[in-house]
Amino acid sequence: MIQLTLDVTLRQQAFELQVKDTSSVEVLGIFGPSGSGKTTLLESIAGIRRPDAGEIRVAERVLFSSAEGIDLPPRDRQIGYVPQDALLFPNLDVNGNINYGVRHSRRHLPGDAEARLRSTLIEILDLGPLLERRVQKLSGGEKQRVAIARALMTQPAVLLLDEPLAGVDRARRDRILPYVLRIRRDLHVPLVYVTHDEAELTSIADRVLHLDTGRVAEATHRRQ
Amino acid sequence: MSAETWAIAQFTVVMALMATALTLPFAIAAGWVLARATFPGKALLETVVSLPLVLPPVATGLLLLWLFGRRSPVGRALDAVGVEVVFTWKAVVIAMMVVSFPLVVRSVRSGIEQVDRRYEELAATLGAGRFRILRTITLPLASRGIVAGAILGFSRALGEFGATIMVAGAIPGRTQTLAVGIYTFVETGREEAAWGLLLLSALLAFGAIYLSNRLVAARA
Amino acid sequence: MATRNPAMKIVNWLAAGLAVLASSAPIAAQPPSLVVSVAASMHTALEELAVLYRAATGVTVSLNTGSSNTLARQIVEGARAAVFISADDRQMDVVEKAGRVVAGTRTRLLTNELAIVAPIDRAVPANLAALLEGRVTRLAMGETSSVPAGVYGRRWLEHEGAWPRLQSKVIPFPTVRAVLSAVEAGRVDAGIVYATDAREAKVRVVGRLPANEHAYLNIVQPAAVIAGPAEAEGRRFLQFLRGPEASAVFRRRGFGVER
Repeated sequence: MIQLTLDVTLRQQAFELQVKDTSSVEVLGIFGPSGSGKTTLLESIAGIRRPDAGEIRVAERVLFSSAEGIDLPPRDRQIGYVPQDALLFPNLDVNGNINYGVRHSRRHLPGDAEARLRSTLIEILDLGPLLERRVQKLSGGEKQRVAIARALMTQPAVLLLDEPLAGVDRARRDRILPYVLRIRRDLHVPLVYVTHDEAELTSIADRVLHLDTGRVAEATHRRQ
Repeated sequence: MSAETWAIAQFTVVMALMATALTLPFAIAAGWVLARATFPGKALLETVVSLPLVLPPVATGLLLLWLFGRRSPVGRALDAVGVEVVFTWKAVVIAMMVVSFPLVVRSVRSGIEQVDRRYEELAATLGAGRFRILRTITLPLASRGIVAGAILGFSRALGEFGATIMVAGAIPGRTQTLAVGIYTFVETGREEAAWGLLLLSALLAFGAIYLSNRLVAARA
Repeated sequence: MATRNPAMKIVNWLAAGLAVLASSAPIAAQPPSLVVSVAASMHTALEELAVLYRAATGVTVSLNTGSSNTLARQIVEGARAAVFISADDRQMDVVEKAGRVVAGTRTRLLTNELAIVAPIDRAVPANLAALLEGRVTRLAMGETSSVPAGVYGRRWLEHEGAWPRLQSKVIPFPTVRAVLSAVEAGRVDAGIVYATDAREAKVRVVGRLPANEHAYLNIVQPAAVIAGPAEAEGRRFLQFLRGPEASAVFRRRGFGVER
């Protein structure tokens, strides 16, 4: 469970993104047609895009506040971000990608715990056979799983998933969802899950925001 | 190939290697700033960096001669600590550095600009700081441009003449590079020796290009 | 680690290359030594003299050769040349005016005279008179406003009243070497150079202008000691250049030496 306060106003080319929602969730689903501002919203939470106005809080921690002049850089936000195309670093292999966050930041666990987290992630996401591979040789689904592991190694307060199934061919889509569920069930990491397919959210999201041209057209909350 | 020709070639290659090695860190820094940063006066920086490309090398040589001579504060400061630049190999290296700098910067800048910024943004979400990202993501992904720039700069340094002769002089055994040697030999009537140097220069140029192609291909 | 970084490979190459080459080639000059800036036309003579000087004193003379105006400019900006030997008085004046010459050391080291040269395999122009009458199509000279041989060449032609009819046939060159090359290759009918330059080239000497018959030309090639840490060494070397042994070498090479 995590409390998410999203109050984002961001002028774009075609429309203005205006989302205002506060909730306590394990999984926040956001869906809408392409171009409705979903990715922009995620980028705002991650700190990659700056809203024109508003406030973003994760678990009472202020990440952005135009009123108070706060805008934490991405490296200080403790957000895990898995973009639509996984965006694995091409100059590193799978191992290098997974370990990037712990190698190059101040986010460390005491030695033993880190190794345990790593093996847990590798197990949960079935990354064992992929570890020495170059990222160019991976399938879409494999890339997504590596990207998820990479983000989770840094122990984010919340994990942002941007259309995790979009780069995966139809036949394998049902294979990925279980992984996402496992993350939620075994690791208890809150998720913000963005998709254009509402059906994906039925099994996992506590709360769903329906985005349409930048506004929340509807918000449903589910009691699980 | 005589011992003298060999010595001149060795000297030139060593100087050019040194110049390239010393130029690279500055060129990478400048390339990164020009590729990624926005600030007032950026256009001015771009112009200054490009100057040695646009100025005739002799003019560059004149500027360097003034800069390291007894009439400039820099020259006087160096003199005070006993460091001699003009007429020494240091002037050769400096002349080579200055003329090759804009070429290396251009290549580095282009290489960095081609790196998708989203990789850098993502690295930031993973907790990496700016210089860490530069070192582990940006530069490795821009390595083709950096390598190409280094080789281009090296080739330019090898062939450098106008600035070198002005600030380093044409002193056999001390500051005589291949290009300067060709000039001196022609001027003093040693045309056969000049041809020998010319042949060697051509060989080195071919070598640099060959190496460049192999390295770029290996990256792919 | 799984990072393959070609940039690092390059750095390693450079370092290795540097180490290998630097260890096998001597870069610095051997002490003790002094640098002498000498105009191109006197380079070969000085080469010979440098060898003699080294044998006699153990001191290495490094020659910085170039065009007199470049040499002068370097010295004005503080380049550490111990002695300056210029192809004409004008550039020495520049250096002296900048206060770089050690007082009292400027000397008329050498004199020279003009020579008119032509391609070996041509019969014309047969003599100086023919040239002065304009019986050439192309005449090579150093730039008549900057190259010493060109300046004096023009002065001669003007003195003889031949400049108006020859001016349009003059092809200016930036250096004397270039003039000689043009004559050697037969691309011009004749050229005007210093007599000493002509000796080192494969050309036919059409005629010479001896100094005693053409006093207005007064081609002097001065030398001077330049102020700096090597002043003492410079004085010694200049002394040597004015001495009997060096004078013999100069005379043998066609320079005028008046002591």
